[in-house]
Amino acid sequence: MKALKVIALPAVLFAGWWVLSAGSKDFYRPPLRTILVAFADTWFGARIADDVLPSLARLGAGYAVALVLGIAAGVVIGRHPAVRETVEPVLEFLRAVPPPVLVPILILVAGIGDLMKVLVIVSGCVWPILLNTVEGVRAVDGVLADTCAVYRVPPVRRMVLRAASPQIVTGARQALSIGVILMVISEMFAARSGLGFTVVQFQRGFQIPEMWSGVLLLGLIGVALAALFRLVERSVLRWYHGQRAAEKQH
Amino acid sequence: MRRLAIPLAVLLLAAGCGGNSGTPTPTPAAPGQPDKVAAGVIAIVDVAPIYLGKQKGFFSGRNIDLDLQTSQGGAAIVPGVVSGQFQFGFSNVTSLILAKSRGLPIRMVSNGVASTGKDGADFGGVLVKADSPIRSAKDLAGRTVAVNTLKNIGDTTVRASVRKAGGDPASVKFVELAFPDQPAALAAGRVDAIWVVEPFVTAAKAQGARLVASNYVDAAPDLTVAAYFTSQELIAKNPDLVKRFKEAMAESLAYAAAHPDEVRAIIGTYTQIAADVTTKITLPAWPAEINKASVQTLTDLAVQDKLLEKAPALDELLP
Repeated sequence: MKALKVIALPAVLFAGWWVLSAGSKDFYRPPLRTILVAFADTWFGARIADDVLPSLARLGAGYAVALVLGIAAGVVIGRHPAVRETVEPVLEFLRAVPPPVLVPILILVAGIGDLMKVLVIVSGCVWPILLNTVEGVRAVDGVLADTCAVYRVPPVRRMVLRAASPQIVTGARQALSIGVILMVISEMFAARSGLGFTVVQFQRGFQIPEMWSGVLLLGLIGVALAALFRLVERSVLRWYHGQRAAEKQH
Repeated sequence: MRRLAIPLAVLLLAAGCGGNSGTPTPTPAAPGQPDKVAAGVIAIVDVAPIYLGKQKGFFSGRNIDLDLQTSQGGAAIVPGVVSGQFQFGFSNVTSLILAKSRGLPIRMVSNGVASTGKDGADFGGVLVKADSPIRSAKDLAGRTVAVNTLKNIGDTTVRASVRKAGGDPASVKFVELAFPDQPAALAAGRVDAIWVVEPFVTAAKAQGARLVASNYVDAAPDLTVAAYFTSQELIAKNPDLVKRFKEAMAESLAYAAAHPDEVRAIIGTYTQIAADVTTKITLPAWPAEINKASVQTLTDLAVQDKLLEKAPALDELLP
């Protein structure tokens, strides 16, 4: 029943798209049937290794760096009010700079290879993780902290990260969708491979069904990543969801 | 909700366009009123004649109220012309060949811009750092060359240069970089060579870069680089307007070719190129006619480099 609910609306939308576009003669909006044929021809083959995997690898690398950086800096800033007051204006400034405008600067310092593209992803993904970590760490319950200190529980690893993890996960979830967007954008500059690169190439080469199939694939990848994230979240935050359920019963 | 956003947006897009595939034609001018015409151009040196022609009244004198709208490139202008947002557009020849080969209903109406045909003194070329071991196009084999757009007129004509010089064109690695970013990337050693057009040829040379190939010259004698085009629908519905536009363009091209000083002056009005640079750049050629043999050559290069599978019928693309 639940599965049916999940599938129902996408199925309706898909069917609607199919029917409405069936007779389309518009060059830029081909029938869904044409797009699906192009999808099979375009993506089942060498392109998975040539374009899809490099994109996902860059996304994975950038996301991982942003996680480590964001959580580490977030714990430090969250635990030390003096540090927070000092760095806050700078962070606010850096956060406000849209990553795409950094690309020409990143090209100068990091070249035109994968490093530049990973840095673009990091520069956008790190902020929601960092800021949520800071908030999570600041909100650690004082009594809990004192109790842990008395029992000599390692403060950062066992207590702070645990207590802040619901917030950190929230930040990580926001960062993931930003990461997918920046993966595409980073490949629009100085690229030789990747999903964003390929979609733009199709557009410029007037291969419109192929272009649409790339957009479709990006959407599917987004859905798959979100599902994967939910799985990870469920195991990381098992204690939290359990606690919430227990609280509700009271 | 996020899960729904993408298919929903796609559906709305697809649904919104289902019925509306016809091209809105320009409102027929009332008697005595000039035709309102929008033309999609790129803010580069190449389109100076149409700006000059508008200023000189070559269009208004033919009852054309010309509105020039700048776009990023041919890939954005072609849809604009096909959808009727623009009545005419400017695009490089390779993009038009690609569009035609995919079945887009477009046709060239006038020459746009051409190579000067002079090796070493063209408005575009391949440059390397002063101390680079690359001495000729042949040495580009195995090197990284920046172009503004992959799979287009830049990489196919640079490969033609390498081929002509006896190098292996398939081994050249092309990377896409916007023209303004290229001189800095070359100076920093990020790429081995850059392919640029004016004013970036002059800018790169000012930084010490050295010209190693005039790729347009190597590709074909007096290569037609870009053309003005329109939709087949407009040609069928309003042949008189197309005829007047052609005449106005012919007069504009001839005027620009004969008055380089006025060309240099008008470039500053629609680009960000500084006045002291416009006096130094190499101007392209603006001949009256499209060089049909060179369009054939660009088609052959596009097929050879696998930009497209099958050459389009050129007699349906040429004016």
